[in-house]
Amino acid sequence: MTAVLLTELEAYRSTARAWLESNADRYGAAARKGLSERDDLELGRRWLALKYDSGYSGISWPRQFGGEGLSALHQAVFAEEELPFGFPTQYFQISLGQPVPIMMHYAPAEVIRQFVVPALRGEQIWCQLFSEPAAGSDLAGLRTRATRHGDEWIISGQKLWTSWAQYSDLAVIIARNDPGLPKHRGLTYFWLDMRTPGITVRPVKLADGSADVNEVFLDEVRVPDSQRLGKVGDGFAVAMHTLVIERYAAGADETGYGPELGSFLRLAREARLGSGRALDDGRVRASVAEAYRLQQALMTVRSKAFLEAANGSEPGPEGAIHKLVSVRSRQKLSELAVDLLGPEAARIPDATAKSDWIASWLAAPTGRIAGGTDEILLNTIAEKILGLPQDYRPDKGIPFDSIR
Amino acid sequence: MSFLYTDEQRQIGESARRRLASSYSAETLKRLLDDPGRCDESYWRVCQEMGWPAMAIPEDYGGLGLGLIEMTIVAEAAGRVACGAPYLLTSYAAAQAILLAGDLSVKAAVVPRLASGEQIGTIAFAEDANPISLRPTIVFDGQTITGTKRGVLGGSRADLAVALAVRDSRLALVLVDLTGQGVSRGFLDTFDNSRNMADLTFTNAAALPLDETDALSTAWSVLDRAAVVLAAEELGGADACMELARDYANTRQAFGQPIGKFQAIKHKIAEMYVANQIARANCLESALRFDRSLPASTPLAAAARISGICAYDFASRESMQTFGGLGVTWESDLHLHLRRARSCASVLGSRFIWEDRLVAALEAEL
Repeated sequence: MTAVLLTELEAYRSTARAWLESNADRYGAAARKGLSERDDLELGRRWLALKYDSGYSGISWPRQFGGEGLSALHQAVFAEEELPFGFPTQYFQISLGQPVPIMMHYAPAEVIRQFVVPALRGEQIWCQLFSEPAAGSDLAGLRTRATRHGDEWIISGQKLWTSWAQYSDLAVIIARNDPGLPKHRGLTYFWLDMRTPGITVRPVKLADGSADVNEVFLDEVRVPDSQRLGKVGDGFAVAMHTLVIERYAAGADETGYGPELGSFLRLAREARLGSGRALDDGRVRASVAEAYRLQQALMTVRSKAFLEAANGSEPGPEGAIHKLVSVRSRQKLSELAVDLLGPEAARIPDATAKSDWIASWLAAPTGRIAGGTDEILLNTIAEKILGLPQDYRPDKGIPFDSIR
Repeated sequence: MSFLYTDEQRQIGESARRRLASSYSAETLKRLLDDPGRCDESYWRVCQEMGWPAMAIPEDYGGLGLGLIEMTIVAEAAGRVACGAPYLLTSYAAAQAILLAGDLSVKAAVVPRLASGEQIGTIAFAEDANPISLRPTIVFDGQTITGTKRGVLGGSRADLAVALAVRDSRLALVLVDLTGQGVSRGFLDTFDNSRNMADLTFTNAAALPLDETDALSTAWSVLDRAAVVLAAEELGGADACMELARDYANTRQAFGQPIGKFQAIKHKIAEMYVANQIARANCLESALRFDRSLPASTPLAAAARISGICAYDFASRESMQTFGGLGVTWESDLHLHLRRARSCASVLGSRFIWEDRLVAALEAEL
């Protein structure tokens, strides 16, 4: 059974690769060079529409909702092949990665049917209104209030770090419906239209100059109870379901979403240290070896999880190390690459973190925070895999409005 | 690439862990620390009884016809209990050298005896901290060798060695009977005595030529494979340390709570898990590449070796730290792992050597 499936997946891989290659010139990294963000987004929408028309979107989603009805492994194979081409997909990554799958899980069928295809074609973008100024790693500490008035909820508060909210048409949101309960209870999950009156989106410029994330103000935003996902008070469980998907999705690139190791090797071969090549310097060689062994191990962990899934068994827990290891390693390697660049290093980066060491270095701190900080990931490994005790949490079991 | 263990491979691992757990004795290991030149004979009997020396040897030569993957499975189990002799590793390396370079008659005469465990083999490629000496001082005249190999792993007890020598300014790999005439052993009293290191001095000792054309690359091929076995042993030790630290952190109380609640301790142990998983993945993948003759086996063997060193160093050092004062006593078994981590790290080439080998392999592909 496994052997048949693996053969089928390899055939799927080579067909997909050929198709991706045939479109690389028109939609890939080269086609995007020099485009404004608006034009890049429009190119991205056209790319998604083409993927949809060619049967390469919603690969593992049910056919009844517009997906292809194939396995999660087909989806993983395609994502793996698509990544190196640098297509303009980042605007849709959250949208298709978390909110839409959550909708498919919790919303009524007619609502799902209305939204899935436009999202797959890039006509509509979804964001997730989760983090807040006082609730990041401690998401359950969020303060945005949802108050029920008959068949409606009135939502007020402030969200922060919302990716692509500035281009989003729709959103999922988690808000506090009952501050009298301990913090993890008393939260409820909804979806809403970003054009609903009372919503203001303001981009937040990050340290690297990019502005993918936003603060979103909600001032008495009215949401019908029919747009609630899950039960009243079950919002945290729904949000955790989302984060599991996010952590899995974020861990697909062994370089930690930085440049390839080969690019560092070429740089170190050209760069001079004293009278010799940088690549002949022991410190540089040690850094290359370090990055190689970490990236190779993560690749093996990922392929093993893939085989386990193909075998019908649950992948091992070691996948949890992926983001932690890959992004930390990318940060260190990017620092050294900038050092090796010499005077060239002072320039403002004009490319993405995936293709430029300076951009990669500047954006690396974000990677170590977004989608679970290093510290939270270490806690998860310690508690969920190794069975070590939870940290001391003074706010545990206390009604939210009594926490000091 | 990657792969999943077969039922048979899983069974090999389980029976190895069970058998070794029941024969493990920290007291024996501690006694050996004061007794240079002796090894844990009971451990070697277990190896023979379980058929481990035969595992990676072809059936034609009295072996079980399995591969490096199975070797790493057993080496990992042996590493968990800081096994009291290096012969699984050294005999494997000697057998591989003979299989790679020896002619049919040598293979037929020698390899079956290594497979049965009746004889113990080792390799003597090094003369200093480099795992392979490019200018050996040992001279081969076509029939005998003369000179000294220092710090040979397993050298105090091995019956035969594959040594790197020089003949008319060319490198040669030769097979020497260590029990024959003209061989004297100087036992080394080391911080990890059960690894049985010895200086081997040869005075016109009879030697058979194995490889006189490509000795250097044959020696590296042997070392690459041996490095993977050693890395698996290191991984086993690192996992044992991590589990000891975890169990202690879950039970030891301080400041009114288990110390595992403090992130300083908890994150340390999570980092051990991370380092061990990295080592595990690289061991698995490099063994697979050798067994299936896939490309990039050399940089992956180096990756496994470096990852094994890092994981064992980190876990042995930080598990002692987790135990506090208890960890640094002679009574605690942790110093056995601390010793073993360092002795593993410093034989068959340190991490510096393997970093260079890894990068050289990547450069060649650029």
